[in-house]
Amino acid sequence: MNASLQEDNLFSIKFIIPFLTILFLIIMMVLPYQFKIIDNSMPFLSLIGVYYWSVFKKDLLPISAIFVLGIIQDIILGSPLGLTSLLLIIAQQFIFFQGRNFLERGFLFNFFIFILMIISFGFLSWGISSLYVSAFLGYWEVILQILLTIAFYPIIILILNLATKR
Amino acid sequence: MGRFRQRLVISFFIIASIILLISSRSQTILIEQIRAQVFGFFIPVITFVDIPREATASLSDWVRNIAVVYADNEFLREENADLKRILIESTELEIDNHRLKSLLKIRDGNLTTITASRIVSDSNSPFFKSMLINSGTRSGVKKGHAVVNEEGVIGRIINVSVNSSRVLLLNDINSRIPVKFVKSGVNVILAGNNSQLLGINFMPENMEVVVGDVILTSGMGGIFPPDLPVGVVSDVLEFGEIKIETSVDLYRLNYVSVINYEIANFSEIKSDQTEKNNLSQIEGSQQ
Repeated sequence: MNASLQEDNLFSIKFIIPFLTILFLIIMMVLPYQFKIIDNSMPFLSLIGVYYWSVFKKDLLPISAIFVLGIIQDIILGSPLGLTSLLLIIAQQFIFFQGRNFLERGFLFNFFIFILMIISFGFLSWGISSLYVSAFLGYWEVILQILLTIAFYPIIILILNLATKR
Repeated sequence: MGRFRQRLVISFFIIASIILLISSRSQTILIEQIRAQVFGFFIPVITFVDIPREATASLSDWVRNIAVVYADNEFLREENADLKRILIESTELEIDNHRLKSLLKIRDGNLTTITASRIVSDSNSPFFKSMLINSGTRSGVKKGHAVVNEEGVIGRIINVSVNSSRVLLLNDINSRIPVKFVKSGVNVILAGNNSQLLGINFMPENMEVVVGDVILTSGMGGIFPPDLPVGVVSDVLEFGEIKIETSVDLYRLNYVSVINYEIANFSEIKSDQTEKNNLSQIEGSQQ
């Protein structure tokens, strides 16, 4: 009886960890860094978090958690409600669409898929935002945002790897 | 069956996101209140996570200040001498201005500083330019209040919670501010475009503008008081399109002031006038 209770507790803690790490990445995205480059084109850190957990522990990050995280990000960032949820859910489904053999293919393959995903994600977010404000928004900042996200990917993955191994 | 259920769940969350996205365009009171409650809840968390960054920034500022203290001291001495001279001139002008306004019965609006606040978070997005400050309804902040600093206009309050508020920056694509050219006095609308260089809406044809022309708030619209610095013309392009560089560096903000501006009440002016007319009638009848 006690053993099953302990297992339940461990399982619920495991569920909380992906949620909290992505929430932490969202908060890191909104800090006032006072760098012009960051202020215009903050990397999609939350997407890196969603990618990491969807690839390595897909059962620990249900779609409902992604929906809630997306709403929180939209509220803290001041972007239209539902925008990030929609994009993150699409991104997660894209990852699942690649099949279950992610872990067997190694870091470089994962990185390549991530690059493909971030390019689509960036331009989709630009397209939806342009539609939302009914204006043709500048795309250079989005390209920069995509490049910065690619640059940040190995660092965030390394940190998440170190954090989850403990 | 399991696969069908899974697809149903995915479709549900995608449709829910799209419905939220469409309904958030209408900016309903309910959505604004939910947003305010949630960002109000996260303000202490963001402040806590920000401690290491803020400590590092303070330390680097301190080191930079120490390094330039002698040069700054020299510059400030010279500036102080200039400012003393300007103060005498401006005091005389202020007295003249006040006298002329009272002769013409011009009433200034009522300007109140509500609070000084620290910036807690920044949207850091290429599409939406806003920030959160650590003052809300508890400090007297209301939706529509103007946000400024010593350099000029920053934006206006668009959403308020108990302990925090969201500021729409003047470079956001949804921002429109009534401004005027100092040299010509022509009123125009400054429109945000998500960049540091802003544009002008409703620019009169054949109006001459040169690089360096100063732009101030016009006071129309009732949110911003008149004559606050907004920016300078940085470029005049073909077909009369101009670019305005904001007077405030929106990327290096730490503290801001929330102000409330109330346009002069015309009924008061009218009642003053009728009172004076009555007095003069009484004086006339006494004579």
